[in-house]
Amino acid sequence: MSSLDTTETGVGTSLPRADARDKVTGRAQYIADMVRPGMLYAAIHGSTVAHARIKGYDCNEALAVPGVACVLTGKDFPDGRMGAFIKDEHAIAKDKVRYLGEPVAVVAAEDESTARRAAALVRMEYEDLPVVATPEEAMADGAAVVHEGLTDYFKVFPVICGGNIASETSIEEGDVESAWDDCDIIVEGEFETPAQAHLSIEPVGALAEIDAEGRVTLWSANQSVFRVQANVCESLQLPMSKLRSLTPKVGAGFGNKMEPHVQPLVVQLALKTGRPVKLILNRVEDFEIVRARHPFKIRCKTGARKDGTLVARELEAILDCGAYGDDSPGVLGYSLLMSRGPYRIPNCRCHGKLVYTNRMRFGAFRGFGNPQVTFATEQQLDEIAELLGIDSFDLREKNIMQPGDRWFGGGEVASNGLAECLGKAKAASDWRAAGTRAPTTSGTRRALGVAACAHISGLLGTGAIVRLLEDGSVVLNTGAVDIGQGSDTVLTQMCASTLKVPADRVAIASPDTDGSPYNWGTTASRVTYTTGRSVVAASEVVAGQIKQQASEIFECAVEDLELRDGGRVGIVGVPDRELTYFEISARAHWAAGGPIVGSDTWVFDQPSVDPKRAVATGLPFPQIGVYSFGCLVVAVEIDETTGKTEVTDVWSAMDVGKAINPGSVEGQIEGGFVQGMGFALTEEMVFDGPRLVNPSMLDYKVPTTLDSPLEIESIIVEAAEPDGPFGAKGVGEVGLVPVPAAIANAVAAATRCRQRRLPIIPERVLNGMLEQSVEN
Amino acid sequence: MSTDAIKLMINGVGHSVAGVTAGTTLLTVLREKLALTGAKRGCNQGVCGACTVMVDGAPMRSCLSLAANCTDQDITTVEGLALDGALSSVQQEFVSGNAVQCGFCSPGIMISAHALLRGNRALTAEEVRAGLSGNLCRCSGYKKIVEAIVKASETRP
Amino acid sequence: MELVKPDSLDAAVDALQEDGAACLSGGATLVAMMNSDLVAPDRLVSLRNIPALRHVRYQADGSVVIGAMRHHRETAQETNFRDGQSVISEAARQIANPPVRNMGTMGGSCAFFDPAADYPPALVAADARFLLRSSEGHRTVSADDFFVDWYETALKDGELIEFVVIPPAHSGSIGNYTKLARVSGDFAIASVALVMAMEEEVCSYLAVAVGACGPKPARSREGEADIMGGRLDNSAIARLTDALDALLDPVDDVRASAEYRRRVAPRMVRQAIRKAQKVLSEVR
Repeated sequence: MSSLDTTETGVGTSLPRADARDKVTGRAQYIADMVRPGMLYAAIHGSTVAHARIKGYDCNEALAVPGVACVLTGKDFPDGRMGAFIKDEHAIAKDKVRYLGEPVAVVAAEDESTARRAAALVRMEYEDLPVVATPEEAMADGAAVVHEGLTDYFKVFPVICGGNIASETSIEEGDVESAWDDCDIIVEGEFETPAQAHLSIEPVGALAEIDAEGRVTLWSANQSVFRVQANVCESLQLPMSKLRSLTPKVGAGFGNKMEPHVQPLVVQLALKTGRPVKLILNRVEDFEIVRARHPFKIRCKTGARKDGTLVARELEAILDCGAYGDDSPGVLGYSLLMSRGPYRIPNCRCHGKLVYTNRMRFGAFRGFGNPQVTFATEQQLDEIAELLGIDSFDLREKNIMQPGDRWFGGGEVASNGLAECLGKAKAASDWRAAGTRAPTTSGTRRALGVAACAHISGLLGTGAIVRLLEDGSVVLNTGAVDIGQGSDTVLTQMCASTLKVPADRVAIASPDTDGSPYNWGTTASRVTYTTGRSVVAASEVVAGQIKQQASEIFECAVEDLELRDGGRVGIVGVPDRELTYFEISARAHWAAGGPIVGSDTWVFDQPSVDPKRAVATGLPFPQIGVYSFGCLVVAVEIDETTGKTEVTDVWSAMDVGKAINPGSVEGQIEGGFVQGMGFALTEEMVFDGPRLVNPSMLDYKVPTTLDSPLEIESIIVEAAEPDGPFGAKGVGEVGLVPVPAAIANAVAAATRCRQRRLPIIPERVLNGMLEQSVEN
Repeated sequence: MSTDAIKLMINGVGHSVAGVTAGTTLLTVLREKLALTGAKRGCNQGVCGACTVMVDGAPMRSCLSLAANCTDQDITTVEGLALDGALSSVQQEFVSGNAVQCGFCSPGIMISAHALLRGNRALTAEEVRAGLSGNLCRCSGYKKIVEAIVKASETRP
Repeated sequence: MELVKPDSLDAAVDALQEDGAACLSGGATLVAMMNSDLVAPDRLVSLRNIPALRHVRYQADGSVVIGAMRHHRETAQETNFRDGQSVISEAARQIANPPVRNMGTMGGSCAFFDPAADYPPALVAADARFLLRSSEGHRTVSADDFFVDWYETALKDGELIEFVVIPPAHSGSIGNYTKLARVSGDFAIASVALVMAMEEEVCSYLAVAVGACGPKPARSREGEADIMGGRLDNSAIARLTDALDALLDPVDDVRASAEYRRRVAPRMVRQAIRKAQKVLSEVR
């Protein structure tokens, strides 16, 4: 790329990604592509029972396989426990197994097939325990307890727990009990959503090696090198300084690579063998033992006055936690915080339980519980609109949060572009004329559906280091992992625009716990907003030092200096009095002032609950984030013969504060839509008791090109966040959140039959249509 | 278990590969014996399409092809598409059109795209959709991918 | 495990005599199963190097003879199907996706026989015949008899499919294949293969096979005979779908429930017939 002007590569341009060339030529290296000298390959022996005490191991047969270097079981691992909220999980099962496939032994061998063959030869002796496969079973009287030690586990917030309840949360604002009397109509219903697999096309994996001092270097597919470091060191009881966590290219993460997967296993194998060890899961294992989106059961009740004014909402959620806590308490708390939606509902009460079961752990997945509650709440708005004879858009427009309104719980919302999102989605979809458009194919019913939503970006600690090199080029180091969403490019653009250099003069360092400033992770739609703020702040420090140098050279005041496009600093109003960054940096390095490095760190600290307005118990997020808003309209066509739903057109208006890279923002909206559409229409992890029935891509179906609409219109709305970098806030999740709800609303409009359970498969739609035709 | 060394023609270069058993797939040989790691192992069942390579001019699954059964075939992997380091027009369109996110599916998609573009005529979006239905992408929603290929079909020399 | 690549049919049949030998055609199914450790044949007999198996031949009587190793893509693009024979290419076009259609073969797909696959109902509707070869010679089996039960065919140990004969279809008939699947290219929830002809308002020929709704494609010759020669009104179609319903034996699986399959299959049959009626009336 030639050096372009800042205006051509900086903030607001769809700058191509720096790593795209490597990716289209096959050069980009992912964890499975990495090889180290003398490397061993590992394989897992997974539990064949869902709930049992481990009575004994026999590894002799496995050890006897030629080429096997090491077999480790729970007995060979330290007693440390990890977990984002509740420290309830060892690196490998010890004493007890709690779900099918849970690693109980690991083998390292000279090649992968030998390791897998040997792993299959590990013999286990179990004492079976009663299995609790669902939250209902787990909450029943006398149910077997998944974690006997729950009360003693370390927890990072005051968790309300007991028995198989891992966490219980409630939030209340207003007076719901008496508010029902003020309602002219009340709708009530039960909603159910299944487990969804992340299905990053890259299965997870990790590679560890140790040096002569016993210090570990660990590469893995991850969303946070720092969370990897923390989890491995907690579970293996290593000092954190003894482990360096790095990342190759990551073949997407939608939450599944945020918390640990196989990293502790390869580290322990490397420590025991002294050799590099790599472990890549096969697809079945990736389905069975990483994590997935929580199944939700939701009871929701919403009341309104005749004129459409929303008055009260009550929502109750039961989440299947699976066998370990992982991010689940956060998902519960967050989903409840989203249960009012972006509306003025003065009386709102929600309550939820997270229940341990003997299934794989469920965890973070793009949307973090929000798509599930939105599926319920946005359908109820349509039900109310229908009962009152009010247009769906009119009802929403009447009730949406206005600028200055606070979020449920009382958190401040500094920017709110929701009204504009609604207006633009309505106009683009020609909503009023929707009823007059015929289906594109005969034998189908066509209708539009709408849903609105909001989602946060934020949470926790972040930093950035910006260094001006001797030649005037720049290295940006943030520790934020680009999982494919394009944050490296976006952060580079922010740095480049702040320093007024072309983007190709800024290189971005690969995340490295040794050298990068702390970054909690690529999750919670947070990198653009939180890391971006640090990037801008650190770049401004560098800009200040550049000006300081220039002021000393020019013998003028710093205030009289300006940065100029192309990486120069000059005196305001005097075009020919300027210096290049090369000249500045040379002086700093060799003569005066010292090398120019800017850094910034911060932690998100705005309270999410105002105790004067709301009562919250068991909520894990005292400080959560800033809000992005969105409105989605979809057109569906339903085959009258089969009940199959096809989405033909999509209008997705999303308030992202500022699109730093519009092409990437569209990519998030389009990709989020199709992933949400899969959740709505085709994807379901089917369980038979504790066993996942369809752990393969043959049997778990995500949309292909032919199932996905090309008519996706991304409408970018920019209600600037006052403290966001260039006004930006997050876009990674918000585009997915309203998808199941909007599709369900469209299906209901087309069939006169509401779908309260996902996925909306042909069977349920056809049954609904047939029931309707019988009734009429 | 091992057979004699097998001969494979990959990206126009002949390779002699030893230690290939009857059940060894072409994907395994490419990745583990020849360090051609462009083709990815996403599912190893022929569903995801990340391992797609061109065999005698047609895109196929390298995870479902036994290496020893490919000895007289002409194989092209993603590494063989950028001639002399210059990106092909479709590769260029993917870069400039923001059609690449995590990139794990990109090598397989590049192969399917090149197969589609061989007809040397402008493609409709529907043709591209049909031609790419065997390459799953979990990031992009496919829109920019289809657009990039249509554009490449219209603009290339 | 060994891989042999015979270059003649006789050599292939010889190579198959050994216990634990399996034919390797396109690999789309067998290698996937090997990768998942579901099967581990001792000997793989690759049929790639037998040119005769790759060919298609056209006989004077209008029969199209498809070699067992003919790829789905080639069959999908076959231009010499006449009349209702095109049900075969319609089905081929809907198998999986382009790379798999470039690899998979008619013989391989049929020998594995997943009842939710696309060829079986199409071949049954087209009255296709399989020519099977073994060391004892060859024999012909109708598609009806070839597909026996879930994943079970008439193939005996040591026997392979040499080719499949698509006989000439009823003059003036058309063929269509309709598939309902959760996503494009997936195995069917239900599928309908149909060959039909009309003379004025009267149905002069009808063959309907339903796929994915039982252990083998369901076809009711009595039901077809009953309505041939009459008008295709709702009651006639209902008689046929009732006759078919008696033959369905669907199961619950991750793709759909048995109940839904039973409910949707007759609707799809009716829809397919109505669609064919429309096409045929437009042709006139």
